[in-house]
Amino acid sequence: MVKIEFPESTRKKLEQIGAADLLIGITGAVSADELRTKVDAAFAQGNSFSKIVVASAGTETTDDLVNDADSRFHYVTYPLPLQDSGAVPWGEMGISQRSVLSIASSIGAQVCLVLHADANALQAQTIALLVQPVIENKCELVTPIYPFGKYEGLINSSILSPLVRALYGKRIRQPLPFDFSVSTRICSRLSQGDQRNGYTGPLLVWPATIPAIESATISQAYLDVQHPVHTDGLELSTVIAQLAGSAFLEMETHAAHWQRVRGSQPTPLWGTPVKSSTSSEPVDARPMIDSFLLGSSNLEEVWRLVLPPVTLLELKRLTRLTPEQFRMPDALWVRIVYDFALAHRLRTISRTHLLGAFTPLYLGWVASYVQEVAAVTPTAAEQRLEQLARAYEDNKPYLVSRWRWPDRFNP
Amino acid sequence: MWNQVEQSLRESMSRVFTKIAMLLPGILAFIVALLIFIAIGWLFALIARRLLLAVKFDERIGRGSNAISEWSPTYTPTLLVTRVVFWGFVIIGVLLGLSAFEAGSTEFGISAYVLPYVPRIVGATIVLLIGNVVARFLSRSVLITAVNLNLSYARLLATGVKWLVLVLTAAMVLDHLSIGGEIVDLAFGILFGGIVLALSLAVGLGSRDLVSRSLKGETARPVEVPQPEKLHHF
Repeated sequence: MVKIEFPESTRKKLEQIGAADLLIGITGAVSADELRTKVDAAFAQGNSFSKIVVASAGTETTDDLVNDADSRFHYVTYPLPLQDSGAVPWGEMGISQRSVLSIASSIGAQVCLVLHADANALQAQTIALLVQPVIENKCELVTPIYPFGKYEGLINSSILSPLVRALYGKRIRQPLPFDFSVSTRICSRLSQGDQRNGYTGPLLVWPATIPAIESATISQAYLDVQHPVHTDGLELSTVIAQLAGSAFLEMETHAAHWQRVRGSQPTPLWGTPVKSSTSSEPVDARPMIDSFLLGSSNLEEVWRLVLPPVTLLELKRLTRLTPEQFRMPDALWVRIVYDFALAHRLRTISRTHLLGAFTPLYLGWVASYVQEVAAVTPTAAEQRLEQLARAYEDNKPYLVSRWRWPDRFNP
Repeated sequence: MWNQVEQSLRESMSRVFTKIAMLLPGILAFIVALLIFIAIGWLFALIARRLLLAVKFDERIGRGSNAISEWSPTYTPTLLVTRVVFWGFVIIGVLLGLSAFEAGSTEFGISAYVLPYVPRIVGATIVLLIGNVVARFLSRSVLITAVNLNLSYARLLATGVKWLVLVLTAAMVLDHLSIGGEIVDLAFGILFGGIVLALSLAVGLGSRDLVSRSLKGETARPVEVPQPEKLHHF
């Protein structure tokens, strides 16, 4: 990752402010008035912090806001670094998150609270849920659990979350958090970034992986917050390539660590689960099955370079099923993900092609999943995802074997 | 009569052996020059490989851009450089071997005829290799993109792109080798123009109804209410 540098004016302002108890960093531009209103509302009932710094992205001046030495609130803006953040919305967010962590690290904030650019989480209850565990329970990272319905966040549920859990041994539901809080130690570590290996796109799941590698105390908080992700005009394959590509790259970087990890530990939960307001009506799986079949009939030559013969045989068998019978076994899906991660590392084919060829397989999994959970409650769907996460853990020896001996171990 | 035939055969055999004997030093000189340059090439490739590994060339290249790995994923930049160094020396060896062949034999004019043609062969070989790599890469890119766009004719599209690039490459190679002259240009023009015309007709005829329907319906079309998406991947 590129080192974050701030302009002279921001640095001087941060020096004037000095050490703070809490830094709240918004990962986007918020107007000064809106920011003040939200901060006032969030802390209307008082708090125990003696100095709170609120940082937001952009160039709008915050000097007109309360910023004198007597006030507990100090406002600062930081510019977004000029870097190719990729086409997906998460790319820019990742850079902003690092900017916020760098500010917190430079002023030695005891707690750093990173919030989404829309500032929807800037409310008393959310702040309490994310900050209190760090102060009172010595947690070093608190990640959110958003009220997702059974058909929401499927890339996270099928790839990111179970992969991070199996690899790094921490059961984190949202490894790509929009809002999270960290302690001073982890803030300092996260602001240093991570070593990249030949990847020019944005790294995304580092807020979860680095603390897990650093053996940090991690907990999760149920938040009643929604962040609409604007993905208009974005192809699904582009998004999958960015998200899965980033996770695969981090696998490569931390291979020495995750190969030693066995099983996973649950993380303490704060708050109460929030029901999703989205519809749970059944989804038509046929278009996704068609996409899978189209991929199967056209991309077999690419899949053959990545997947072992047994997996190809099972995929072939899936193509002969009727849409109603179409089910992708967990073990098959998990091995596909692991094999693509391995091919990503070995550069078996161009990484752009590799991740592009992954999309029809993902749609095959989605088709299978939506048919399985069509008639069940969101809680049962959650249990179904837990079963998938366990399959990731159960098949980890397969990944380790293939990772270590890709030529010798090829079932 | 028989004696005269025998005499004549003996003389022609003698001339053949003399010719071979005269060519032998040249062939030997060619082989020696080639072997020496293969050895030098191998040595320089080894040195280049060690040097590039020491300066972590792959990592530096990878950090800046993924272009090389995207186009040639199975070969590392170091391997590509060492191969270029080795084959560069082999080509120089062949050129010098030809000169040595001419100097070592009494036959004149071989190198004068062959040498000017060698750069063309080298150039044509490079064009052919690059054309193949580009055709394969573009074909796969089109195939994957078309599948992800749910186009049922994805394979047809990919094959079309592949053959377009290969035909273009073949025309360039033949042109570079000065084979065929204007016939190649003409044939390529006709072929390429034909393909483009065929595609235009196919698209034009295929979408005629679609265009007329959309033009007709544009004014009278009711305002569509977007359906809320039930499935959220992110």
